[in-house]
Amino acid sequence: MAKKTAYMGMLVALAFIFSYIESLIPINVGIPGIKIGLANMVTIVTLYTIGVVPAVVLSLVRIVLTGFTFGNLAMMMYSLGGGMLSLLVMVIARKTKLFSITGVSVLGAVFHNIGQIIVAAIVVENSSLFYYLPVLLVSGVVFGVVIGMVGAVLVKRLSGFIQKQDIF
Amino acid sequence: MKKNDVIMIGIIVVIALVALCLVNLYGKWNTKDAQAVVTIDGTEYGRYPLSEDRTVKIESENNGYNLLIIEKGDARIEEASCPDKICVRHKPIDKTGETLVCLPNKVVVEIENGEEADVDASTN
Amino acid sequence: MKKKYQALILGIVVIIFAGILLWHGKNTTKTERFEAQFTDVFDTVTNIIGYGESQETFTRQVSELKEQFDYYNQLYDIYNDYDGVNNIKTINDNAGKEPVKVAPEIIDLLKLGKEAYVETNGQVNIAYGSVLSLWHDYREAGLNSPTKAELPPMEEIEAKAAHTDINQLIIDEEASTVYLADAEMSLDVGSIGKGYAVQKVADYAKAHNMNHLLISAGGNVCVVGAKEDGEGWSVGVQNPDLSSDKEYVQKVKLQDMSIVTSGNYQRYYEVAGKRYCHIIDPDTMMPAEHMASVSVIMKDSGKADAMSTALFNMDYEEGKALVESMDGVEAMWILEDGSIQYSSGFSKYLEK
Repeated sequence: MAKKTAYMGMLVALAFIFSYIESLIPINVGIPGIKIGLANMVTIVTLYTIGVVPAVVLSLVRIVLTGFTFGNLAMMMYSLGGGMLSLLVMVIARKTKLFSITGVSVLGAVFHNIGQIIVAAIVVENSSLFYYLPVLLVSGVVFGVVIGMVGAVLVKRLSGFIQKQDIF
Repeated sequence: MKKNDVIMIGIIVVIALVALCLVNLYGKWNTKDAQAVVTIDGTEYGRYPLSEDRTVKIESENNGYNLLIIEKGDARIEEASCPDKICVRHKPIDKTGETLVCLPNKVVVEIENGEEADVDASTN
Repeated sequence: MKKKYQALILGIVVIIFAGILLWHGKNTTKTERFEAQFTDVFDTVTNIIGYGESQETFTRQVSELKEQFDYYNQLYDIYNDYDGVNNIKTINDNAGKEPVKVAPEIIDLLKLGKEAYVETNGQVNIAYGSVLSLWHDYREAGLNSPTKAELPPMEEIEAKAAHTDINQLIIDEEASTVYLADAEMSLDVGSIGKGYAVQKVADYAKAHNMNHLLISAGGNVCVVGAKEDGEGWSVGVQNPDLSSDKEYVQKVKLQDMSIVTSGNYQRYYEVAGKRYCHIIDPDTMMPAEHMASVSVIMKDSGKADAMSTALFNMDYEEGKALVESMDGVEAMWILEDGSIQYSSGFSKYLEK
């Protein structure tokens, strides 16, 4: 149990730091919602090496933490919408075994953006936000591929390690 | 990367392109009609779409007036109470940012959402 | 082999999309272009075109510039008094009486006026107020009742013209005072004041980080920098033939430049079917009749304003010789027959 807690804590810290790093990298193209999704890498690794429930917990904790630390309530709402939809899709996509980790990562990124737009559209009651959809889809694909590829490498290396340590 | 990944990415890409087209089309539908905006001394007096022919008597202070005619998609001033008649001599306007001005009456007619103007300003 | 093929496809897809993303992003991040307009300074329409992140930021900038314009408008006014302001009218009212303490902006303008007098061989004379106001009164009367329009009698003009010696304008820079030694004379800075003010406002804008701006005060156009996309500002030179379908005879592209036009087709009145414009030639003391219009491109809007008035008062040959003898001045003449003449370096500004 102690090992498990320590491992989870480490993952949360990692995800948290990635979120912070990402907030430092301004991708200033004037479109809200575009992000690299570094933190999603941790989510993917968790999902593949540990399981669904820890991945969900990790995601929630990270979003709440970063929301309070770097953002505001509205940002947290967007992140929650995006993060949960993204995770849901990733879990399903993984179950179907149709896609590789990269594919799952792309789907996660794309649906993260879709989820954010949906929440934003509900909050500001303005459907014109869907104007950003094409760009967000494309950015999701691009960054999803990158994150997915790195994630795949990590999963490969880490799953052996985790098994050896007998954490879970 | 599996073959399925590539197919899936392809599908998303196609969806993005379709969405882009839809967004652009939607944007086109949404653009407002060109209209002539009339202001007197900075306060808006009225706006009239260029698509409908009409005659507007713009009444300003001291019984001043300018007769604005909108016809065949452009606007001109047919008649004015002012002595210099600069606005009456001005060519009809239909491009965004073009103006008819009557200084004595402080009347400005400006086109909004019209055709793209080919110059930023003019010197005379 | 198959893997390589897939990787290649993926690579291409990623590059294409990164491209689309950047392109789209670039197109949506631009600050917007805004325009503002006011009609209450220098008896003309003033247009300002600029860029801003929002309507509010632009409006704030424009109101700053407007404040500047209002200030210069009051200083250079010859018809109205303003509370607590000594302006050109105050100087005129005290002609032959006493020196008037004025703001440095008036001193600078009057010095420019004196310079312009020398440079243009007297074709620009800010001490010409007495003659100009005579013509002004007859023009206004003529516009109000066109059937009774008449020219001022020559002896009256000559009487006024006896009091237009610019050397009687005495500027004391140290005391910051201006004195008209001839009680009958008066200043009229119409030929330079507007252009000078436009330049001052443009300088102010530049000093306050507005780097892409177009200011046009009644066709007195001064541009700061280029447009935000790096293109020069496009300015059309009005066709003097107002009935023509062609609105502009030429278009010029400008960057950090000013263009000013003097023409006979906007402010004029008619006497017995003949057109008399508002620019008075000091040589004849009559409205200038050499051409339909002349446009001058110079860096400084105030100097361009003076130069366009001067050129309008000279015939084309004389004017061309003057322009060619000076650095940093280009001009374009539209003669009465509609033909166009250019100074040797003007073509570099013409829009391709």
